[in-house]
Amino acid sequence: PVTAGSVVVPYGHVIGNEKWRGSEVAQRLQGKVRLIFEDGLGLVDFHLSNRTCILLISEADLVAGDEFKRRLVRFRNASSLTGIVIVEKTQISDQYYLGVQKLVVLELGMVLLPVANQGEASQLIIQLVSSCIILKYGIKDRCANPFLRQQRAQPAEPAVLRTVQQIPGVGKTKALLLLQQFGSIHQLCNASINELEQAVGQTVAQQIYTF
Amino acid sequence: LARVCRVPAEQSPALCVLADSREICSGPAVISCLRAVHGLRVQVCSLGTSDYVVSSRLAVDRLFQSELLSPGSRSKLSQRLQRLQGLFERICVIVETDRVRPGETARIPQRTQYYAGVLSALVQAGIRILFSSCQEETAALLKDLALGEHRKDAAIQVPTEPEGHRRDILSFYLSIPTLSYGAALNLCHSFGSVAAVANSSVPALAAGARLSRAQAEELHRFLHHDFDLQLLPQPLPAKGK
Repeated sequence: PVTAGSVVVPYGHVIGNEKWRGSEVAQRLQGKVRLIFEDGLGLVDFHLSNRTCILLISEADLVAGDEFKRRLVRFRNASSLTGIVIVEKTQISDQYYLGVQKLVVLELGMVLLPVANQGEASQLIIQLVSSCIILKYGIKDRCANPFLRQQRAQPAEPAVLRTVQQIPGVGKTKALLLLQQFGSIHQLCNASINELEQAVGQTVAQQIYTF
Repeated sequence: LARVCRVPAEQSPALCVLADSREICSGPAVISCLRAVHGLRVQVCSLGTSDYVVSSRLAVDRLFQSELLSPGSRSKLSQRLQRLQGLFERICVIVETDRVRPGETARIPQRTQYYAGVLSALVQAGIRILFSSCQEETAALLKDLALGEHRKDAAIQVPTEPEGHRRDILSFYLSIPTLSYGAALNLCHSFGSVAAVANSSVPALAAGARLSRAQAEELHRFLHHDFDLQLLPQPLPAKGK
């Protein structure tokens, strides 16, 4: 059965599929996060938040054939949740990894993370849960994630100066002169040759004008 | 290496990938594989920011797994990726397994909690992650990415080697901090002169350089920025020196 609707996940909890009860992943998660088991999650193995869920593919699934692929495609078609696929990449299942990656990341556009065993999977789930919480409740907000771009207002002056210096024949001194006279690159571009000649010499004015 | 495998370049519909010049040292097999096996046009240029540019909006960074595993390289990595996010709509990292030096046995890297944290931060930041076990696989992944972007009509389709006067103009565009190499090439190609760019409206810039609306606005603001000498960081030497 495909359940497409999102599940309400309370703060700091993970909702796990009944089939994982007693497994190594579940045991390791317990104590770190509050794990609730529920029946009828359908294709999904763990719900981390209202929007994010995890599909776990074991080594055995990989080796057994294409059943897991059907499951992923069905999930992708049925659900609008962000699906993170965790796959057990071991020495045995390694040979299938490239194919899986192509399907999951390049064709389905989902996230794929390899782990070596269930212990690593649980470690990863714990980290994902904690970053979900940070994102959702705005603790320290964006600063907490080192890979999110922080908007910082920087004065554009040094950059404008550097750009003007790229015009042939213009060094730092002339660039300053030109910018003081014309104000912006836009106005500099629309300056007549006479105006340029008043600021800098005739040769350079010609150079700038033809540029 | 740069001149050897030039044959695929003759097929005009060949996909084009820009590679950073540092990659000649660190990933020679990636570049030669892209050219020889996959028949892509690889243009080596000094991108500075990312290792590869696959389309006008997608940048790819090639990382070693050890870089993700060691907390020491965290600040460098985050700086790099934050910068990329300012320039590109989409970012992908290819995590490559470290090469084993001759005489050394392959160590199975100890996955730490730190590693799990880095991965989840990347996921949350919306950065695509691909894993590769060697340079050849990385090349195949790059080709797949380029193909995908081509299907979405975002491939690099302009000539990548401007000549003469155009080279000066390219370096002018490249010095604008919010423009990526691909966007600068597009500007070079779709506008006749710098003045034409400076006099363009935001939508015209977005269409010509294939930028997003926000990026085009930023470029427009930059070109119209009123220069104020007082805001320069350090006092400049007096005139006449």
